[in-house]
Amino acid sequence: MSTALANVSWEPCFMEARQDRELEAYARRRMGLPNAAVRYFAAVPWVARTAIDLHVEFGLLVHLDQNTADLVGLIVSQENACRFCFAAVRAVMWFQGMDRERVQHIEQELARHDLPPRVRAAIDYARSQSRTGPSGAHGAWTALRHAGASAAEAREVAFTVATADFANRLHTAAAIPPVPMERVPELLPMRLLRPLIARLVRKHRWRGSAVTPVPLVPDAPYAQLVNAFAGSPIAPALARTMNEMWTSSHLSRRCKLLMFGVISRGLPCEVCEIEVSRALQREGLDGDAASRVLTHLDGPELTPIERLLMPYARETLWYQPAQLQRHTRALREHLSTEQLIEAIGVAALANAVCRMAAVVMAEPA
Amino acid sequence: MAAMLGVAIGVALAVLVTMWLQQRRTSAVLQRQLDAAAEELQRLQQACARLAPAGVVDRLVADGVNELSEMPAQRKVVTALFADLVGYTAMSERLDAAVLARVLNGYFQRMSDAIHEHRGHVSTFLGDGILAYFGALQPNPWQSADAVRAALAMRAAMADYNHELAHEGLPALNVGIGIHRGSGLAGLIGSRERMEYGFVGRTVNLAARVQTLTRTHGVDILVTEAVRSELDGSFELDAMPPEMVKGIAEPVVSYAVRERVAAKIQ
Repeated sequence: MSTALANVSWEPCFMEARQDRELEAYARRRMGLPNAAVRYFAAVPWVARTAIDLHVEFGLLVHLDQNTADLVGLIVSQENACRFCFAAVRAVMWFQGMDRERVQHIEQELARHDLPPRVRAAIDYARSQSRTGPSGAHGAWTALRHAGASAAEAREVAFTVATADFANRLHTAAAIPPVPMERVPELLPMRLLRPLIARLVRKHRWRGSAVTPVPLVPDAPYAQLVNAFAGSPIAPALARTMNEMWTSSHLSRRCKLLMFGVISRGLPCEVCEIEVSRALQREGLDGDAASRVLTHLDGPELTPIERLLMPYARETLWYQPAQLQRHTRALREHLSTEQLIEAIGVAALANAVCRMAAVVMAEPA
Repeated sequence: MAAMLGVAIGVALAVLVTMWLQQRRTSAVLQRQLDAAAEELQRLQQACARLAPAGVVDRLVADGVNELSEMPAQRKVVTALFADLVGYTAMSERLDAAVLARVLNGYFQRMSDAIHEHRGHVSTFLGDGILAYFGALQPNPWQSADAVRAALAMRAAMADYNHELAHEGLPALNVGIGIHRGSGLAGLIGSRERMEYGFVGRTVNLAARVQTLTRTHGVDILVTEAVRSELDGSFELDAMPPEMVKGIAEPVVSYAVRERVAAKIQ
């Protein structure tokens, strides 16, 4: 079916899909359906697992209703022009029993005023966090709270946007082919299996429940953000993702921090930059040097890989899909497959986390 | 009697079915038109994002232009790039109108491409001049370096274009570029009939004045001290003697941009 993003330019995929039975079985157990896209990230387990684990429909939401979360996922993917994720959200809606006309109708409704005020406010906030950045998101957050969302519900909206921001950048930067996903509702086997798949989708979606807060290392970067979700199942999921990202060894911890620093500076997110600056000092890069390399995205202190990836992180802030895909493809000449996947994952996670943190960390819990 | 009733019911049923089919056809046509309009709106929104910040476009789509006129302008730090063709007037008198239009369009296209590639946006074409901003639509702490990189890309694009023009026996074009960074008011500016997302302030005037100094100093790219202080050592600059310019009380210090020496990645 024709989609609103059908005209978005998309480069041919340049990543190699790697079969990993264990990972694919994990995705199937968790999501109820095979997820072929994780094969492209299988070489770096934390990236592939994050693409599976940070789906909000699998036990991460306690306060936000799933329908609003679906709409938020749809609108963020539309704003970020991620053809793959947009088609995936549409396909899930279609599997759940919405006909194609109804899905298109929902897309049209997203631009209208006849949605309930709280849903409308959630969508406006989603647009602001993902597209306008912190400058507009603070106002949209206040509007969301005034529309009746509790602080916990508003934080879940912010997290839902962040997961979509992550998935969008991950699949866009790697140029994962969107056409098979876009064609799902047109394929005869899919149409025949639709009731069965719908049952599988419904069976594997579950609401989360409050959990015991997980104690975190207080000086871990973004611990304050994780703590803002204390008591929610989001906290351990986010903590695990962040921890696995920092400890993965394909790129140095300093390189990852610098990529987070670029995103923080570019948005701008002041609380994030303070967080990154402290962590960089622990890595031996003092405040002046860190500030200088973030100002110029270059410097004699940087390793060749850092000099490549700081401008790359910057490219992921406000991007056009094809341009970002060409830049990512050009990195292949300088990085191993594992380094490239980790770089894509770090940039995607940095965008998700810093955009959310700019608002959530600035708010009292 | 019964036969007549049967015929009447049959006719009534046929009419109802025909009406129902027509209704379905009309609904399908309307749905297609609605879908096409929604797609068009999406495309329009994406296109508008190149002309104004995302927040402004969202308000434009949601509230319409009239409500937008109420939107307050924001004070922002922006880098303005002003480019102008050198010797355009003389050339315009020598060339046929159609050829001149083609040459100018080729020039505008190449310069705009270089600006977009470095995250700038062309605000307006003023005769043969181009006014572009960096950091006006989205936050961009690296805006000054982007503007200077764009100017260097414009220089390179101009050299390529002059090769093409020479093959056709046409005169070479030369461009002068002035760049300044400073604060000003950004927002929707204009009348009820015609509005545009613009930037107002001394920054734009100074960029234009610095551009005129390229002729005085015999160089093609000049930046002000405000821009120079934002650049790292990879840009090779030559300090020019301070010059008075129209509308500015103090002599203006400017720097000619020679080139950018980027160390190679090992």
